[in-house]
Amino acid sequence: MLTTKINKKYKKWMIAIFVLLLTGGAVIWYLFTLKHDDTAGLKTDYTVKAMDFIKEFQKDLNGANSKYSEKIIVVNGVVSAIDIIDTTANIKMIDTANGAYIIFAFQKQHLNEAKQLKEGDEVSIKGSCSNGAFSNILETEYVTFKRCAINK
Amino acid sequence: MKKTILSVALLLTTGFLFAQKKTTTSAVINFDATTSIDALPKAENKTVIASLDTKTGKLAFEASVKSFSFSNPKIQEHFNNAGWMDSNQFPTASFTGKISNIDDVKFKKDGTYNVTVKGDLTIHGITNPVETTGSIMVNGKSLKTSADFSIKLADYKVNGSAVGAGKVSKEPNISVVAEF
Repeated sequence: MLTTKINKKYKKWMIAIFVLLLTGGAVIWYLFTLKHDDTAGLKTDYTVKAMDFIKEFQKDLNGANSKYSEKIIVVNGVVSAIDIIDTTANIKMIDTANGAYIIFAFQKQHLNEAKQLKEGDEVSIKGSCSNGAFSNILETEYVTFKRCAINK
Repeated sequence: MKKTILSVALLLTTGFLFAQKKTTTSAVINFDATTSIDALPKAENKTVIASLDTKTGKLAFEASVKSFSFSNPKIQEHFNNAGWMDSNQFPTASFTGKISNIDDVKFKKDGTYNVTVKGDLTIHGITNPVETTGSIMVNGKSLKTSADFSIKLADYKVNGSAVGAGKVSKEPNISVVAEF
């Protein structure tokens, strides 16, 4: 009788530990295998015009960073330059009046979209805004984007 | 008068043709802090600003910390948090220095030249002197500079719990490639 009770209690504990281990393992597996979603399918937080967007950073860098940093933004503008180096395809939109610029680094699965663009093309780019800063090297403001895709 | 105008024009043209400072906004920095128990702390920043003065050897880099892209969004979040890079407070990492043997590089002759770089590296708001070796590859009009080195996170007061737990290398490897 006593042995059966101990066995039942032991069994319950074993099941509880097993469930805990399984849940913990599932959570760890989930966290370790988590990947960034394809930006093309993400909800847009803001849609902006390139030159207005640059001006917003020039006017109030901290305010613009608080508003846009790590947000998904669609930027509409004209391609000023394309940097294609090895596995990199960066698109730039430059304010010719002062050299300030936005630079878009494309997500791996969207690299070919960037490579097909030409200077002067009107384009709509969706990406994760990293932040804006003042460059001491170039002596101008710039805004960087990562994981970008053409907005279709 | 004509001679003066001609001389000024010649000076300006010469200065333009032999402009020494080269810049790029698409240099790449790879950051690898993986350990035997965690292969995730690895990131790439493809929008680094760099400049190289081919006459004096002055070299500079500026990287937006939030532009480092990790494959795992959770690691990226941790990387930018206060316990790690605190990117809201310290949004950029930078290097200013000099190639000490710039005269060894023949910019008009194709080839790969080994160089020594010395300068100041600022990460997390802390500046330390660094010295490393690298290379400059001359190919026609294009230049490709590259360097690999490691830093001690403790030197930059980056000491989050993940570093202590061995999930993040205490001495991550950094590789820098800039094409001008």
